[in-house]
Amino acid sequence: MTAVTTIETSTVATSSRGPRGLLWTMLRVHRSALWFWVLLVAFGAGALLWAHGPAADAAWAEFRRMGCDSGQPVLGCDYIGTAYDRYDTFSTLGAGVLGLAPFLAAAWAGGALIGRELENGTAQLAWTQSVTPARWLAAKLAVPAALLATGTLTLTLLHRMMWSTDGQLRLAMGSRDWYEGTTFEANGTLATAYALLGLAVGVLAGLLQRRALPALGTAVVGLALLATSIGTLRPYLWPVETLTAKDGYPEYIGMVLGDGALTSTGARVSDPMCIDNAKCLAKHDIVGFYRDYHPSSHFWPLQLVETGIVLAVTGLAVLIAFRLVKRRTGAAV
Amino acid sequence: MTATLTAPAAPATRGPRGLVWALVQVHRMAFAFWAVALIGATAGLIWMYAIGDTAREGNVPCTTPARAGYPACASIETITVDDVYRSGIGLIATVLTYGVLLVAPWAGGALIGRELESGTARLAWTQSVSPARWLAAKLAVPAVLLATGTGVIVLLNDWARGDDAPDLVGDWYNADSFVGTGPTAVAYVLAGLALGALAGMLLGRALPAAGAGFAAALVLCGVLETFREHLWPTVTRSGVEPSAELPRSAWALRWTTEKGSPTDSVTFHPQSHFWPLQLVETGILLTIAATATLAAFWLLRRRTP
Repeated sequence: MTAVTTIETSTVATSSRGPRGLLWTMLRVHRSALWFWVLLVAFGAGALLWAHGPAADAAWAEFRRMGCDSGQPVLGCDYIGTAYDRYDTFSTLGAGVLGLAPFLAAAWAGGALIGRELENGTAQLAWTQSVTPARWLAAKLAVPAALLATGTLTLTLLHRMMWSTDGQLRLAMGSRDWYEGTTFEANGTLATAYALLGLAVGVLAGLLQRRALPALGTAVVGLALLATSIGTLRPYLWPVETLTAKDGYPEYIGMVLGDGALTSTGARVSDPMCIDNAKCLAKHDIVGFYRDYHPSSHFWPLQLVETGIVLAVTGLAVLIAFRLVKRRTGAAV
Repeated sequence: MTATLTAPAAPATRGPRGLVWALVQVHRMAFAFWAVALIGATAGLIWMYAIGDTAREGNVPCTTPARAGYPACASIETITVDDVYRSGIGLIATVLTYGVLLVAPWAGGALIGRELESGTARLAWTQSVSPARWLAAKLAVPAVLLATGTGVIVLLNDWARGDDAPDLVGDWYNADSFVGTGPTAVAYVLAGLALGALAGMLLGRALPAAGAGFAAALVLCGVLETFREHLWPTVTRSGVEPSAELPRSAWALRWTTEKGSPTDSVTFHPQSHFWPLQLVETGILLTIAATATLAAFWLLRRRTP
C-alpha cells in the first residue's frame, strides 16, 4: 500500500515542474533543434514582414523615380532595379524557409529523432522503462508535428499577407505567378502538409535504417522522390477550364496546361502552324483554337486536393511506422 | 628479421595500402554513390552531345510559310529534341552548382564527425597512424576523387553544350551555367569538403556536424551568388540612346536614366569577363578550402597530445 502512495506522489511532483515525462525528455534532448526551428521561423517571418513593408515601399519609390509609371516606354524598366531586387530577395528567403522545412524535418527526424536513438540504444533503454514503444513513437511524432505545424502556419499567414497586398508591384514588374511551385505552396495549406510528410518520412526512414546517417540520407532522398511525384500530378487534380477563339489563340492566363487547334467537328488537333493562311487552315479543317488552363479561382480546389493526398501519404507512413515498431518489439500496441 | 622483411611487402600486393584501404572500405557506399553519379552524368552528357545538333536545328528563327532562307515553322515545331536537350543540360548544371550541398554534410557527418563520436578515430590514433596522417588521408583521398570527377564532368559539360546557344543552355551568367562551365565547380566541392571536415572537427559529433556542414555550404553558395557581379570591375557605358539595346551576351546589371540628359548609362559585364570572374571566384573558394583545412589540422593538434 505504501508503494502505491509513493507512485502517486511522484506523479504530482512531475506535473508541477511543467511538461511531463516523455514530453519533457524530448524537449530537453532536442533543445538545440527546437531553438534552431524557432530562430528559422523568426528569420522567415522577419524576411516576409520586411518584404511586405519597407522593401515593397522602396521598390515602388524606385519604380516611380525611374519613370516606369509614366505610360511611356522606358527601356530602363526592362531591367529590374536594385530596390525591387531586394524586395524579391526578402520574399524569396521567406518562402524559401517554407520550401526547405520539409527536407530539414525529414533529415532531422530520420537522423536525430529516430536513427540515433536506435543506433546507440537509447530507444531500447526507454522501452525497458515505463514507456511502451507505441507511446514512445507517438510522442516522437506528435510533439515535432505540433511545433512544425505552428511554425509553417505562421509563415504561411505572413506570406499570404505579403502576397495579397503586393499584387500591383508584382504585376508591374512581371514577376512571380500564383501557380509557381514555391509560391503555390507558401500561400496555402501545402507548406504545412509537406512539412508533416517530411517528419513522417524521416521517422519511417529512421525505423527502417536504425542508424543515424544512413537514415538521414534515405529520408531526404525519399521525400524528394515523393514530393516530386506528387508535384507532377498537381495540374491534373482539378478539372481544367478551356478558352476557345476563332482566329488566333485565346488569351494566355493562369496555369496553362496545353493548347492547339480545333476542327469543325470539335476535335482537338495539333496546330498545322499556318494561322495567316486561310487556304491551309481550310485544308486542315481548322475552325478555331483552344487553350486549357486553371484560372486563379482554382487555387483552393487544387490546393486542398493536393493537401489531402499529401496528408493521406503522411498517414500511411505513420501507420507503417507503428506497425514496424509493433512487429519489432513484439509489444502490444 | 623475417617478420620485418615480410610485413611491408604484404599490404602492397592487395592494392591501396593501410589508411587508404581502410578509408575506401568504410566509405564504400559513398564511393559507390559517387561512381554511379559520375557514370550517370557521363552517359547523360554523351547523349546530350549526340542530340545537340538536332536540338540546335529546332531552335532557329522560322517563318510561315518558308521564305527568305528561313525554314517553315511547321517543320521546326515538330522537333521536340530541343526540350530534352534543354532539360538535360539544365539538370547537369544544377547538380554541378549545388553538389557541394551534399559534399559538405557528408564530410562533416560521415567522414569526420561519426569517427570522432564513436571513438574509431581515437582507436586509429593508438595504432601506427598519427592523428595528422589520419586527417591527411581523410582529406586527400576524397579531395582527389571529387576534384577529378567534377573536373571531368565540367569538361564533358562544356563539350556537350556546343556553341553555348543561350536559348538552349541558358546565358553564361546564369548561376547554374556559370558555375558548371569552369574551374569554379571543382573549387566548390573542395571548399565544401574542407568546410565539412572543419565542422566535424569542431563539433565532434555526426549529426550536428552534418547540419553545420550543410549550413556552411548553403551560406557559401548564397553569398558568392549574390556578390558574383562585384568580383571583377564592371563596364559602364554612358551616353547610350534610351532606345538602344545591349547584345544578348552582355550581363546587364543597371540601366540608369539621367535626369535632364537625353541619354542613359548602362553598367554590365561583357562576356569576356567570364574568365576573370571564374578565376577570382575559384581563388576565393580555394582560399576558403585552404583556411578551413589549416584550421582543421590546428584543431586536431589541440585535441590530441
